[in-house]
Amino acid sequence: MTVHVASVGMGRFGKRPEGLIDLAAEAAGLALEGVGRKPIDLLVVGTMLAHGPHGAEAFLPRLAGRLSLETASGLRVDSASGTGGMAFHAAALALESGRYERALVVAAEKMTDHTTAMITKELAASLHTSEVAAGATMPALAALVVQRYLQRYEKSTAVVDLASVHARAMASRNPCAQFQKPVTAEEVAASREVALPLRLLHCSAISDGATALVLERGHGPATVLGLGQGMDALRLIDRDDLTTFAATRVAAKRAYESAHLTRKEIEFAEVHDAFSPFGMIHIEDLGICGPGEAPEWFEEGWANLDGRVPINPSGGVVGRGHPVAASGLAEVAEVALQLRGEAGAHAIARPPKIGLAQAMSGIGSHNFVTILGKVGP
Amino acid sequence: MSALADTIELSRCASCQAQYLPTDGPCPHCGSTETQRFQGPALGTVLCATELVHPAAGWESPHRLAFVELAQSVRVLVVLEGSVPSVGSLVWVRRDGELYRARPEPVVPTQEGRGEGESPRVGEADTSFEPPR
Repeated sequence: MTVHVASVGMGRFGKRPEGLIDLAAEAAGLALEGVGRKPIDLLVVGTMLAHGPHGAEAFLPRLAGRLSLETASGLRVDSASGTGGMAFHAAALALESGRYERALVVAAEKMTDHTTAMITKELAASLHTSEVAAGATMPALAALVVQRYLQRYEKSTAVVDLASVHARAMASRNPCAQFQKPVTAEEVAASREVALPLRLLHCSAISDGATALVLERGHGPATVLGLGQGMDALRLIDRDDLTTFAATRVAAKRAYESAHLTRKEIEFAEVHDAFSPFGMIHIEDLGICGPGEAPEWFEEGWANLDGRVPINPSGGVVGRGHPVAASGLAEVAEVALQLRGEAGAHAIARPPKIGLAQAMSGIGSHNFVTILGKVGP
Repeated sequence: MSALADTIELSRCASCQAQYLPTDGPCPHCGSTETQRFQGPALGTVLCATELVHPAAGWESPHRLAFVELAQSVRVLVVLEGSVPSVGSLVWVRRDGELYRARPEPVVPTQEGRGEGESPRVGEADTSFEPPR
């Protein structure tokens, strides 16, 4: 594609005193500074939760007004926790059409000013009504998926603990991450039960945060090489296999085809580990390793910054924090930072040329795969 | 207390013949709205189960959920009564308004003093949940 990420703006994820618009404006300001405040003719925004004074109502015009971008065209997208991925795809495709020159993409969420019970209820709105009727929540369904995975491949929960250890180790190097301290496998295994086999340190945290990217027509160190998305049955019982996300497999196939690349050419990946073991399922679905092989990836350190294919150098959703709409864009942002040589302390050991970001909506109902790579000098 | 029904109402798609639960709505496989209701066996196998430490609003703790597979690979999300059953154990599924509930199939008593036909109470069966470690 003739579209590249020209700059990245990210504030710190975590408990923040600012409201939704302030968080979004902070990230947007950083991204706009990165391109010397060049004119923007398309603003694409995403936020998911629709509650309270910091809510999503009129998010687009409010943010456009704050950024003095009322003369730009605008789009607001919503795909639950995959919103950020969808926002990036919408902007990239709009630029590729030739109708726009430069887009600002902003995804933000404000969560910590509400109770856990309220956030749990709002997140459950992205599940099927029959699942909600049974009192299912996101962690409950995730626990059922992870249990099936462990059972199918005859793995112990120790491998799940390792995925959390990896996430937190990566996050400890990322100044924007919510969690700055690594954890041990023993600490993960001793953390309180949420819905077994998931414990607290397997789950992503309620968080505030925003990410912004400026996309331009043309090529650069973080050029969009391929895009793919896939959808799946919203209700989990309607899926053939609970140990894989078909939406990721379809999205990945389409992204590889559009990039004219194979999975073997992916040098690193940012995946949507809203629950740390999901990161293992994702790298299998992306073809980075085979079915049931992901635990070994973490056991052997192949996911580390100096590993075969580093996974989630940012800390991922579990380490970075999960302001839901922002996470999907933060994944693309991390790939762009790595390719642009701007990742600082969490830079992967071997400067990469091609990286992949994967975002997930809900429990895999609509997933997005984005491949970026260096084009040109 | 009435005896557990050994059948449950299911839907069959007139177009693709898929059988499914919940019975409401179009066929989840092909979208056809032409469906037929029929009675099928209510005994199913637990595929996976968990207990939510902090249930959603309106639910009491402990709130236990499972995916259960009935005959013909019909799957359903159920609210469990009793302890979290081990994977592969059998449960009876029944409809309760908008949702489905399941309780363990009583095991045949082996202890002395328990007469034939006297079922153990829910929770007495081997329902311990031990995630593989």
